[in-house]
Amino acid sequence: MPRPLAAVRMPGNPPAAPVRGIWPLAMVLVTAFQAFTFGPLLLKEHVPDLLYITFLCYIPAEWLFLTLVRVIMRQKDLLAECLALWLCGIGLAVCGSISAEYAWKQAVAVALGMMVYAGMLWLIADPERAMTVRPYVAFATMLLLALNLGIGLLKGMKNDNASSDQYNWIVLGGVSIQPSEIAKVAFIFVGAATLDRLQKAPSITRYMIFALGCIGTLVLLKDFGSVLLFFCVFLFLSVLRAADMRVLTLVTAAAVLGAAAVIYYRPYIANRFAAYRHVWEYKYDLGMQQARVLMYSSSGGLFGLGLGNGKLRGTYAASTDLVFGTIAEELGLVVAFLIPLCYIAIAGYAIRAARTPRSSFYSIAAISAAGLLLIQAALNVFGATDLLPFTGVTLPFVSRGGTSILSVWGLLAFVRACARDDPHIKDAPFIRKSKPTPPTPPQTTGEFVPVVGDVYFS
Amino acid sequence: MRRITARTLCLLVLIVPFLAGLGILVVQFTVHGGKWAADRTNQHIYTKGQPSATGAILDRNGVALRSTKNGKMVWPSSSDLRRATLHAAGDVDGIIGTGAQHAFADTLSGYNRIQGLFSTIKYGRGSNVTLSIDAELCKSAYRALNGRKGTVGVYNYKTGEVLCMVSAPAFDPKNKPAFTEKQLAKGGAYEAVYLNRFLNGLYTPGSVFKVVTGAAAIENIPDLGSRTFHCEGKFATGEGWVTCSGKHGDLSFEEGFNVSCNVVFATLALELGEETLRTYAQDMGFNKTLHADGIVLATSKFPKKDPEKPLSRIELGWTGIGQGTVLANPAQMLTLMGAIANNGNGIAPRLTLSTETPSGLVIPSLLSATPIKIRIDTAAQLKTYLHSNVLNYYDKSGTNRDLGLCGKTGTAEVEDGKPHAWFVGFSQNLATPYAVVVTVEHGGSGKDNAYPIAVKMLRELK
Repeated sequence: MPRPLAAVRMPGNPPAAPVRGIWPLAMVLVTAFQAFTFGPLLLKEHVPDLLYITFLCYIPAEWLFLTLVRVIMRQKDLLAECLALWLCGIGLAVCGSISAEYAWKQAVAVALGMMVYAGMLWLIADPERAMTVRPYVAFATMLLLALNLGIGLLKGMKNDNASSDQYNWIVLGGVSIQPSEIAKVAFIFVGAATLDRLQKAPSITRYMIFALGCIGTLVLLKDFGSVLLFFCVFLFLSVLRAADMRVLTLVTAAAVLGAAAVIYYRPYIANRFAAYRHVWEYKYDLGMQQARVLMYSSSGGLFGLGLGNGKLRGTYAASTDLVFGTIAEELGLVVAFLIPLCYIAIAGYAIRAARTPRSSFYSIAAISAAGLLLIQAALNVFGATDLLPFTGVTLPFVSRGGTSILSVWGLLAFVRACARDDPHIKDAPFIRKSKPTPPTPPQTTGEFVPVVGDVYFS
Repeated sequence: MRRITARTLCLLVLIVPFLAGLGILVVQFTVHGGKWAADRTNQHIYTKGQPSATGAILDRNGVALRSTKNGKMVWPSSSDLRRATLHAAGDVDGIIGTGAQHAFADTLSGYNRIQGLFSTIKYGRGSNVTLSIDAELCKSAYRALNGRKGTVGVYNYKTGEVLCMVSAPAFDPKNKPAFTEKQLAKGGAYEAVYLNRFLNGLYTPGSVFKVVTGAAAIENIPDLGSRTFHCEGKFATGEGWVTCSGKHGDLSFEEGFNVSCNVVFATLALELGEETLRTYAQDMGFNKTLHADGIVLATSKFPKKDPEKPLSRIELGWTGIGQGTVLANPAQMLTLMGAIANNGNGIAPRLTLSTETPSGLVIPSLLSATPIKIRIDTAAQLKTYLHSNVLNYYDKSGTNRDLGLCGKTGTAEVEDGKPHAWFVGFSQNLATPYAVVVTVEHGGSGKDNAYPIAVKMLRELK
């Protein structure tokens, strides 16, 4: 008998007290920071009208978004959203310092990201609905990645030395889409929903096929940053599911062996990482991007050289994969180092929320989403600064790129969905009441133990 | 659910290394930030690898050896001066690692940990570095070498300030020639041209090493002053001969020092033994890493202790007179001279006087350490003997007595040509507290080829 999905809070585990009332102050600080960063860009000569419009509309839009979340969802603790908006504002400022076109595109992406956030919240508000759409999402994701692979092959991806950057895009009607970014949200959505289904063998098998399909397609697309990201999230979901160390060790060993085999048979892949920990020896070729990040980040000092005054911006991917360096150089190391701390804050927020979820689905989804954000930030920041191999992933909420922004707002929705279970807002929109579920008989070998009434936990 | 809730703490598994990574980055930026910001590919301060906004390199009198104006390098007008200061100021390509252009690149960039390069960009230049060298004195030394390879170093043994640091061969950095492989190869006109021979050269010391053997003898052989040695032109060690430059007959230790008698010093080396000689050599800077303003000097070498294979008597005899496998670095020998002159305290050479930040703040350089120390009475006795060398042998005519010069010449036999000519010494006059080292590669006699250059240097400083 399937376990009821919408079990209520565990007994003996009181709801975590949300940090209420702080978010308006936080948002005032965010707005003040944005005024200081956007302002100088608008005071320069020959500023395009588009940039004025973008910046002047963006700040009210942020407040409108938060107000809607506050009023419609009746949430009092919006710190995670404030952090996300601060990060997005920094990314927008960097884009604005490069071109007005980049800025408005980024602003539009953030606005769409907010909509994705709302849409995801609606979708997962009802776990049964999530269960229903789960196979369709998995199928659509696989189809999208397969389409990406097909288009890549048509473009001539067979060239061994070709970079994944050329092929992991699909252009539809003039709009570029990065399927791997969309797949991240789907990967967690499908994973969390499947694992919540009590590890029934067919579900697990199907999920394994889905995960291997996603990761395998990304390997073929040579998008190794995403491969690493998906594999980490896969491990993470596995830990949350069973924490069977034997299985985990086996999977990890298989992955390591697989990676070793790929490197053995395709040594050019290893060459891409030859500069790792030797970027200064390869500063004119393989390690140029990382060496420049270190060099120009140091040049900025603690408080930066001012937006638009940096030199890293002349390097390829300065506003995407290397954006940490661009921010460090132009806004300073203090701001640059506050950014990774935001992901830790969001992770802490997810941990706190996951202590009192409405069901394990939300707990798994929130923890996985926060974990993914952390891993992605680590790959970006530490990859660009040569602490980790440089794999070329975006910095969540900050890097320029529409699909990336949409994706991370979708991930934030998982965290919010987990945190929104507040006894005071049971009647809030988007929250579907759980139907009373009959008690489940005790199981001798299963994972669930009935406690009282309709509360179940394992 | 409880299990899953407990496992939410798995996020901590990610958070902890994430925080650790950030901590490592903070440390790296703190420690290496200056070096990274000063890299030659940094377009804030370099254009196509050439300095465009770095600070000026000045000599002690304010003469600009390297500076930038409107994004371009500005050079001194004299080509000899440019050559003479090449190894002190460095080349624009940064190949001479000990040159100021490279060694003090982070200072010249104007970087500081709080502002990064903000001030450099604001004021259009990095920090100016004032070197301790006197460019005109360097030019004079370069000319005195007269095309021969070698090095001349002069420093103030009271403060450690290096007034002259010349290494030859050199080239004009403003019009860098296109070197052929033959020119750069051993024996070529530009052999090891990028090496600062003063800081990084290693030469067989020959008789200048007798200062070390002499110091050990002074402290370990009680009747040294009253003893009479006998030189027949060669000394039998029992395993072979140590030859001498002449038949000196009966002579005292002082006379042996004056004429640099190999028999006297080989005898003393054998009496002292390998271990004692090594101890004194190491105390005087051999087998020891020395620094000059943070730049690591080439380590002078005395045979390391090998219980399996101790030095034979013939090897020890040659070692005691600075031959065999002993190698000396000119800057280390200069510091040793400084120790003798300065009552036993050998102050490390110091290459900079001060730094002027882009905003005009002048920061004096740190005082040098004292890496070589010898006993004050030993230093006094050595000073007497070294002065006696000059009075009784190098300057018999007495024309340079006003310099108060003490010193020791060396004529180091090498396998690939004429001997290297050495002179190490110092002025004991209070007004001219300078020590000097001269090495002329394959120059022949130290007395005829190195000593005159040293006198010329001290004469110009007088």
